[in-house]
Amino acid sequence: MWEIIKNEWQFFARSRTLLVTSLGFVVVLLLTIFLGYRQTHEQTLRYQSAQKHFRTQWENNREMHPHGVVHYGTFVFKPANLSSGLDEGINSTTGNMLKLEGHVQNEITHTEASQTQAISKFGKLKGSLLLQYIIPLLLIFLAFQSINSEKQSGRLKLLVLQGANLTKIILAKTLSVSIYGIALLTLSVLAYAVLNLKTLNAEIISRTLFLFLAYCLYYFIVSGLTVYLSARLKNTALALTSMLGVWIIWTIFLPNILLSSVEQWHELPSRVAFKKAMRDDRSNGINGHNSSDGRLKELEKKLLAEYKVDTISKLPFDFWGVVMQKDEEYGNLVWDKHFGNLRNVLAQQKQSYQLGAILNPFISLQNLSMGFAGNDNKHHQDFLLQAENYRRGFIKKLNDKHAYGSTKTDTSDWDVKVGAAFYKSVADFEYQPAKLSSIIPIYLIDLVILIFWMLLSVSLLIFGSKKIQIL
Amino acid sequence: MIALQNIQKSFAGQKALNNLTLEIKAGEIYGLLGANGAGKSTTLNLLLGFLSPDSGTLTMGKNLKTEVGYIPENVNLYPYLSGIENLDYFCKLTGLKYSKIELTDFLSECGLAKEAHNKRTQSYSKGMRQKVGIAIAYAKKAKFYLLDEPASGLDPLASNELSELLKKLASNGATILMASHDIFRVREVCQRIGILKQGSLVKELRSEEVSANELEQLYLKYMQN
Repeated sequence: MWEIIKNEWQFFARSRTLLVTSLGFVVVLLLTIFLGYRQTHEQTLRYQSAQKHFRTQWENNREMHPHGVVHYGTFVFKPANLSSGLDEGINSTTGNMLKLEGHVQNEITHTEASQTQAISKFGKLKGSLLLQYIIPLLLIFLAFQSINSEKQSGRLKLLVLQGANLTKIILAKTLSVSIYGIALLTLSVLAYAVLNLKTLNAEIISRTLFLFLAYCLYYFIVSGLTVYLSARLKNTALALTSMLGVWIIWTIFLPNILLSSVEQWHELPSRVAFKKAMRDDRSNGINGHNSSDGRLKELEKKLLAEYKVDTISKLPFDFWGVVMQKDEEYGNLVWDKHFGNLRNVLAQQKQSYQLGAILNPFISLQNLSMGFAGNDNKHHQDFLLQAENYRRGFIKKLNDKHAYGSTKTDTSDWDVKVGAAFYKSVADFEYQPAKLSSIIPIYLIDLVILIFWMLLSVSLLIFGSKKIQIL
Repeated sequence: MIALQNIQKSFAGQKALNNLTLEIKAGEIYGLLGANGAGKSTTLNLLLGFLSPDSGTLTMGKNLKTEVGYIPENVNLYPYLSGIENLDYFCKLTGLKYSKIELTDFLSECGLAKEAHNKRTQSYSKGMRQKVGIAIAYAKKAKFYLLDEPASGLDPLASNELSELLKKLASNGATILMASHDIFRVREVCQRIGILKQGSLVKELRSEEVSANELEQLYLKYMQN
């Protein structure tokens, strides 16, 4: 088998057309990886600079009442993932800046897609576009006549008579073509690793290895299926058009059809309905600015009884600070309920979509690529959750200061101001990306499906080799 | 020994071989003459195992990989490899590893000019490719050789060299079956000759029994009847 692989590679190396195409592609690939790296790098610098700017602004803020600071809020940024050069996943459409403040959970803003001028369906040239769409196309062009040309030239007869087993021939041809794709992938990963040498760590390396494995499996599947068609179909043109048809169905039609279907099966509320439901739920609760609210009265009654006083002015703390925090906590419950539901629907959509890979291994590849690159919805949701938890701690700190840090003024009103020392005591938000160990269980199904497809390809190849008509 | 006994083979109801019986002893070169469609290639493909007979028995070596050398009418080599690389590749598939000198010797013995050995076969003429094909079969040192129009595209000198090579192989004990239209070459190189018509062996004779001209007349007679 090794001899056949070696011979195929001699063909690849000596074919001027292929060599020129490959070289051109490698240049584009490396350029894309480099531009992806630069974009990630510049984005990181911009975020760091913005974060620093906001921090300076925060620390130099004038003295204010804590509730004023609650409204002043702060900004956090979703950091660019190091693997974005290989696959930026959903990052360009999800936004990256979030304002954290009291009373409200804001939406993430500043999506790259909203600021781009690109009108192409595929948008800008990305590493994932080349790795997921173009390399498989190159593999199809390399493999579509691999067996057919041997058959038509009569060499297959000679190969068999010289002792080459048909199964070995067909497997060797598949491996040779897959290796071409894997070589381009390796080059991309190495280029990416060299560019990010300073920031590489065990977590990123492990993630990249999983990503690498997913692409290797997919390239084998595409090569195998093309070689199989080349062996079974009577002419090379038919093999090529059939495989191009499969490529179009896998990469364009099925993902879109499946996505639309899962959105129908597990429907998300519209943006307007979702916001209204949140607003309705929250307005039914305690409102810090609405003392007539029933919940407010209940809290007042409870605290008066607890501290055995008859008026809130006799409470040993600023009642309104407690009200703010209680309102915040109720708001958190509302957020947890609605965003929890949203996350559940998204998880159901994802699971159904993942199962769709039984019909289309490309879906598994996309999922695994985004997942292990750390730019999928799971990572995005993780960021939102961490930012929300930070917001809760930040607002609680301010509300506690408001309630329990206040002192009575001459006019018997509670008052407090927070200044530089307080501002400095508030730690910056630090996003902790999800660990690989928490990602693997989510994507295990995709890995299993890709392995299933690979075994299916091997079976097809073995079965196909028995059906090849040598004459 | 190569033996075919009462072989019947039909394609879509059309008889390709009709009760063909043939025996070739070790060290013998047998020439199978016949017009296009007479059943020569079918006979070879049956022996090579690419076709199965409808009835009858075939006897040849047990291992095609090591025991049978085959030269097709059109040898299609890998155009991006040189003659010597093609030979090396096909030998390695059989499990034979020869040194460069040995490979060169095989090619030279089969009549390929030395300066062509390292040139890519995309620039080879049909005759040059044929010589490499002969070298592939020759390097196998097989017990049986099946040749389908082996001299096709060869110049008279190379054709003569092929004849000498086949005689040398036979003298070393190889059994050779050569299907051809080339009456003169068959008469010259084969010990026995069979004339195949519509899948049946209509005449069998020893080559020393006839001159080349007589063989041609005999062949034409059978073809016209």
